[in-house]
Amino acid sequence: MTFQRRKILNMAVAGAALSAAPSLVLSQSGNAFRIGALNPITGAGSPYGSGMQKAIQLAIEEVNAAGGAAGRKLEGFYEDDQTQPQSGVLAAKKLIEVNKVQALIGTWASGVTLAVMPLTDEANLIQMNVSGAPAISTLDKKDLVWRFQATNDRFGAAFAEIAKKRGFKRPATMAFNNASGRGNTDGFKRVWEAAGGKVVSEVVYEPNRPSYRSELQKVLAEKPDVIVMGSYLPDTTIILREWYQSGDKLAWIIPGWAANPELIKAVGPEITQGIISVETVSNDGSSSNKLFSERFQKAAGSAASANIYAAMCYDMVISLALAIELAGDKATPQQISNRIRDVSNPPGTAVSSFAQGKQLIASKQKINYEGASSKLDFDASGDAKPDFGVYVIEAGQLVRRDTISIS
Amino acid sequence: MDAYLVSIGIVVLIYALLAIGLNLQYGETGLINFGHVAFFAIGAYASALLSLKGVPLWLSFPAAAALAALAAIPLGMAALRLREDYLAIVTLGFSETTRLMIQQEEWLTGGVQGLPGVPALFASVGTGARNLMQLAALMVAVMLAVLAIRSLQKSAFGRLLRAIRDNEAAVAALGKDPAGYKIQVFMLGAALAGIAGAFYAHFVTFITPEQFVPLVTFYVWMSIILGGVGSLRGALVGTMVLVVFLEGSRFLRDLVPGIAEAQMAHVRLGVVGLALILCMLYRPQGIFGKRVG
Amino acid sequence: MSFQLVVNLLTNGIVEGLVIALPALALTLVMGICKFPNASAGDTMTLGAYAALVLHAGGLPMFFVAVLGAMMVSALVSWAAYRLIFSRLTQAPMVASLLAAIGLAFVLRSVLALSVGPEARTFKLPLVRAWNFDGIRLLPTDLMIAAVAITAVIAVFCLLGLTDVGRKLRAVADNPDLARLSGIRSRRLMWLLWAVAGALAGLGGVLIGVKGVLTPEIGWEFVLPAFAAVILGGIGSPVGAVVGAVVMGIAQELSVPLVGPSYKLVAAFAVMVMVLLFRPAGLFGTIEKVR
Repeated sequence: MTFQRRKILNMAVAGAALSAAPSLVLSQSGNAFRIGALNPITGAGSPYGSGMQKAIQLAIEEVNAAGGAAGRKLEGFYEDDQTQPQSGVLAAKKLIEVNKVQALIGTWASGVTLAVMPLTDEANLIQMNVSGAPAISTLDKKDLVWRFQATNDRFGAAFAEIAKKRGFKRPATMAFNNASGRGNTDGFKRVWEAAGGKVVSEVVYEPNRPSYRSELQKVLAEKPDVIVMGSYLPDTTIILREWYQSGDKLAWIIPGWAANPELIKAVGPEITQGIISVETVSNDGSSSNKLFSERFQKAAGSAASANIYAAMCYDMVISLALAIELAGDKATPQQISNRIRDVSNPPGTAVSSFAQGKQLIASKQKINYEGASSKLDFDASGDAKPDFGVYVIEAGQLVRRDTISIS
Repeated sequence: MDAYLVSIGIVVLIYALLAIGLNLQYGETGLINFGHVAFFAIGAYASALLSLKGVPLWLSFPAAAALAALAAIPLGMAALRLREDYLAIVTLGFSETTRLMIQQEEWLTGGVQGLPGVPALFASVGTGARNLMQLAALMVAVMLAVLAIRSLQKSAFGRLLRAIRDNEAAVAALGKDPAGYKIQVFMLGAALAGIAGAFYAHFVTFITPEQFVPLVTFYVWMSIILGGVGSLRGALVGTMVLVVFLEGSRFLRDLVPGIAEAQMAHVRLGVVGLALILCMLYRPQGIFGKRVG
Repeated sequence: MSFQLVVNLLTNGIVEGLVIALPALALTLVMGICKFPNASAGDTMTLGAYAALVLHAGGLPMFFVAVLGAMMVSALVSWAAYRLIFSRLTQAPMVASLLAAIGLAFVLRSVLALSVGPEARTFKLPLVRAWNFDGIRLLPTDLMIAAVAITAVIAVFCLLGLTDVGRKLRAVADNPDLARLSGIRSRRLMWLLWAVAGALAGLGGVLIGVKGVLTPEIGWEFVLPAFAAVILGGIGSPVGAVVGAVVMGIAQELSVPLVGPSYKLVAAFAVMVMVLLFRPAGLFGTIEKVR
């Protein structure tokens, strides 16, 4: 059959072309440590993504300027995960298979981190993220995954603490249907009910809908006095508008990545008046934070305090570099990963920069890197435990009213 | 770069299976199926879920095909009673319903969060060789499909299908009931799409409902129209053109700075739409085929 | 299910149904005369919504002027689509027009997404709080939407029933050959038909936008419910399209407490399938061959 032969010929030609094509070797310097930066440049995380990417670049420059880590220069490869798991997976595959990175850092959305973890785990690479889903800790079997943000569970506990302090009695929850959103509200419910309270209504809503009227009506029917959200900016915008139109009076506790200046801009000061926004706070007052903030402001043109995730990404590179310094230039990613606690957790001399840490490691001292984003004392699951800042939106501005620590 | 080309080859062959199936339904039999992506989705999720529960892949693949074929039965029955424009709408509604059910029934499918960690085909092999083996397996699958369809075309069954496409009333008048044939064709095309879905799931290892939107159905339609409706060779050529276009647009981004990947997705949508319009206006028979309809 | 909840669902359903009535009317007019489902009606709705957004933001004094402008834009685009594409496919098989319509839908959607961006937008209209009658919420915006939709529907019915042009349209719908023989010049008529269909779809899009937010996908999501409405009402029957749409809207809303909001589309699909199985002519249609 002519067709069959033609087809086989086509396939053979394609196969020959494949093997003849020169493979593009993409790592230049001999022993450089290749870091894949996967950030939400577009999508729901876009208010933070570019800043996160910039912070990684800054940190890589800082480390290389100090002579590299264990003599290895850091090399960065940058991709956009579009805050979508699917795009994240494709970008991660490219970084891992084509760019041959040894660490994949900076994922923001839990969905992206969870989708990418099987890939990094299989390739025995280090993964560092700022995602909240509790599942990330339980799925981290090889201790290769490091979380620089509080888990959603702890966020939920913080929400419960705040709600208790302010005397609310009838909370309801609304959660974006993903691991992060539900992690927030599940964490809240657990702590609230453990203290003897009752959640009057719980709703999980689907992403990317133009309206959440039905879901909101369901919640409002139970007459809550506060709604605790596990949400993102686009859906929070829609829900708040629809709530305002409904005319019911109640309070809101919303995570800081959703209740931020962008929200105020989108919905207006009247509707956002009194909303309680909760976000992890950076290690204010630490010298590492000061140093980072200055450099970030100069490089990015915006304040580091507006983007806690940028500080976290900066810390990712610094702690990674310090761990490489300690583990030596022949170390594999797994071996480097095993040293991260050795450079960030107490006991040890507190250090606030890579150069400082490198010097002390050379003189065989134990160090404890205090990061720009938090003290970075990682627990057994590889989670940092930053504190929370409680902000209230007053007249269109976020005003810090309280700080909460959850153990 | 080789790894990248191998990946493209895999995508081409997956779409080729979809196109062969759709061509059987529309090109050979004249059934307007606007819901093809539903069978793709069913095959993908079936194989993924089974393999996540420990079922070996050589079992989950046929299961995927079988489940997709079963799902096609109601559509086949609808095809008996409905005029072509109604069938088009109903099949579209069917695929959207399937997608929504996959999205909602998260106890089964993981819902919007999707199914991460789907075992890769040939997981025991290292990454580089694995993709090559997947490519080889797909080549075998496509060749088998082509052989099967070829012999079908030459058989009495095939002649009957074309007769149904061209003049159904005559077929009925001759005493042959088109009903059973239509259902079988739907099932066969669906089975092929189901296998394509299984290959897809075990290639990307992470599936979500968003990957199974109607746009995929129309990509496949675009392939068979471009290649020429009713022509098997056309279906394959059309698929290659489609994938070159889809992947090529990624490189276009590097040449034309300032376009984000998210925007490129919209550009692709627009170009496919424009291609559909232009094809219908100026060359409905595509490259190798006879006229549409 | 409390009484208030049912009443709220009913009112939501009627309003949404009236919004669906506009593209449903557009679809049934085109389907009755050109004999193919115009799948681009949904994205014409999106076009209308975005046109109003741009016109309104561009500084037009009153919103309703922007709405009229949007209707003109969608009428124009719809007419152009007929002139450039569909008029040339009248001799081709139905599937060619259908595929071209799908192609047009994609083109519209991508142009909108590229020019205005994929993030959700809202009309800059003041947010009004609902009137609350002991749990039964009535949003003044909804009443306005309903009023506008009803006015548009009445206008179209007057056009069809009371004017000369309308009479000719109905003649062409009933029997194109006979109409041509009796001297009805169909080219201008078709232009008018497509322009009116476009304007209706555009207006429908604006109303959806007023109710919620604007994204490039909103129109496409209405295509299936609009089709279901047309089939329910009987293809080619304008009254049927409107009644069907309102019934669809109510059915979709009432399904929410049972199966959740994500299955609204499935409810529309289920209604459509039921109708096709048991009463293919729909509520008001003639016994047109479905098979």
